[in-house]
Amino acid sequence: MRRVILTIVGTIAGLVALLSFKSHLPTAPSASVSTAGGSGSTSGTPAPSSSPSTVPGEFPMGSLAGKLPAGETAVTGHVATTVYGPVQIQLITRNSKIVKVAVLQQPMNTANDIQIGEFAFPKLIGETLAAQTAKIDAVSGASYTSAGYIKSLQSALDNGA
Amino acid sequence: MTSLAKRPGPARHAGADAYPGPRQPPAPLRSGAAHGPRVKPRSVRPQKESGRVSARVVLTVIGLGAIVVIALWWRSTPDVSGLGGWLTGAGEALGLLAGYGVVVLVALMARLPPLERGIGSDQLARWHSMGGRYVVSVVWAHALLIVWGYAVQAHTSVTSETATLLTQYPDVLMATVGGFLLLGVGLISMRAARRRVRYETWYYLHLYTYLAIALAFSHQFADGAAFVSNLAARFWWSAMYLTVAVLIAWYRFVVPLRAFARHRFHVTGLRQEGPGVISVYIGGSHLDELDAEPGQFFRWRFLTRSMWWSSHPYSLSAAPGKDVLRITVKDAGDHSRALSRLKPGTRVIAEGPYGAFTATGSGRGVVLLAGGVGITPLRAMFATLPGPVTLIYRASTPQDVVFAEELDAIAAARGAIVHYVIGSRAELGGDPLSPRVLRSLAPGLVEQDVYVCGPDGMTSAAITALRAAGVPKRSIHRESFEF
Repeated sequence: MRRVILTIVGTIAGLVALLSFKSHLPTAPSASVSTAGGSGSTSGTPAPSSSPSTVPGEFPMGSLAGKLPAGETAVTGHVATTVYGPVQIQLITRNSKIVKVAVLQQPMNTANDIQIGEFAFPKLIGETLAAQTAKIDAVSGASYTSAGYIKSLQSALDNGA
Repeated sequence: MTSLAKRPGPARHAGADAYPGPRQPPAPLRSGAAHGPRVKPRSVRPQKESGRVSARVVLTVIGLGAIVVIALWWRSTPDVSGLGGWLTGAGEALGLLAGYGVVVLVALMARLPPLERGIGSDQLARWHSMGGRYVVSVVWAHALLIVWGYAVQAHTSVTSETATLLTQYPDVLMATVGGFLLLGVGLISMRAARRRVRYETWYYLHLYTYLAIALAFSHQFADGAAFVSNLAARFWWSAMYLTVAVLIAWYRFVVPLRAFARHRFHVTGLRQEGPGVISVYIGGSHLDELDAEPGQFFRWRFLTRSMWWSSHPYSLSAAPGKDVLRITVKDAGDHSRALSRLKPGTRVIAEGPYGAFTATGSGRGVVLLAGGVGITPLRAMFATLPGPVTLIYRASTPQDVVFAEELDAIAAARGAIVHYVIGSRAELGGDPLSPRVLRSLAPGLVEQDVYVCGPDGMTSAAITALRAAGVPKRSIHRESFEF
């Protein structure tokens, strides 16, 4: 019995020590923006008035340029590299106002990456539409993805949204 | 079939399918037996030191492997932050350790000759049994921590995250089935359950661990952050699983079948040695090539309609001959009872020899300390060890003593000494194997090699007494029957 308790305590102590040695987000996680790929292109194409809509809890994936109604413009952000994978977004603006955000790239290495994205991107997009800037809060539990999103969003805004 | 036990019924084995089980009491080799008395001490060659590994080496290698596994986790984990990060991080680390642990557990049971010779089946089974409990716990801690951690990260409930994991994460459902299989095997192996389950049932349920490992394999690569973007890690991890699978196939199937083809083991005769005690003589060709030594055992698979599908370990109850081996079995279970109905000519697959309980060839005097049926391998050694030998034979009642005549004959022929210590503690008035008693029964004990064989409780007590009597640890050799 004593050995059982020792083993359990030892395992837990070992795990706690191991996890403690990992950094704990001293500051916001970094996401580097690559200048290659997805240059901030602007395009505006007259299109039928039906615009792709987002189901609650989901978010548009893939470029929306090409099927935009008149007056809307797509601006693609740079690819932001995070430790979990690349993040890239595209803004749809109308009269200099952000009306839609599409996710072009997101971390998809594991099912958990996808699940975190499914949870985080709608929140981030909602915050973006409300704030109309890149000064939005990271989503807890998805700090790296949030950082990548914000980097890519900022580059799109810089590129002329 | 545990002859130690006075309790009838299936033997108890906490160890995994090792079943290092009962080496049965040897029967006297009287003249007129299938082969004659073997009372002339024969020279025992020193054990081959090559090809054996010590417990320390094996445990070090296992520990180093665990460190590499932790390094793999370290490499794939960017950071640990928040409750979700802590839970997920711990869950991932435990998952990797579990994936490694199952391989280690199987490898311990792969009948690898260096392990069997260097550590001994009984010790391996004890490790497997302890490690098995640990790994099953780690598997489930991994599962629960991942569910909880993912739920925290995705801001959802544990219930809905469980459903998400089972339905949307690749291969997690399969792995969960595997986890339940492992849990089931762990539960029936627990001491309380083992006593109520027949050996055969337990043995066959244990085979589900292979299925469990196969079911759980793919989710490691499909969902494990350590593997998804690391081809080298996938390669080496697969190589580790594959290596152990090949070793299992080789040492548990190919080697015994090749030995069967070469040696053509078959039953040559039976002999009733006493009430409920039977010797089985197994003949074959080129048996000297087996290099079996007194003190070792084989796993025997008798190819009859009712017995072919399970193998049972029984010690050699006489020194191995060139064309005949002998085991002696006490009737204590279905299998041992079935042995008495064996027909001469029945073919046998023998796996072995196994066991690290053999002469060291140090040339010093030897004390053999037998408890109950622990006499089995010691009987073979008593007849063959060179040099001065003292046998101390502890039994609770006179009826429990087997081979008294035979032992006396060997003792007389080679000038060795046998002390019988018979009776309950109360009858004997105190500890029958106290350091003082041991010293008086075996003068010069401290300078000799001591071989202890018997039930676990007896060997533990005896070793404590021997240490107290001043026998150095390295001079004590132990084999336990119950695990």
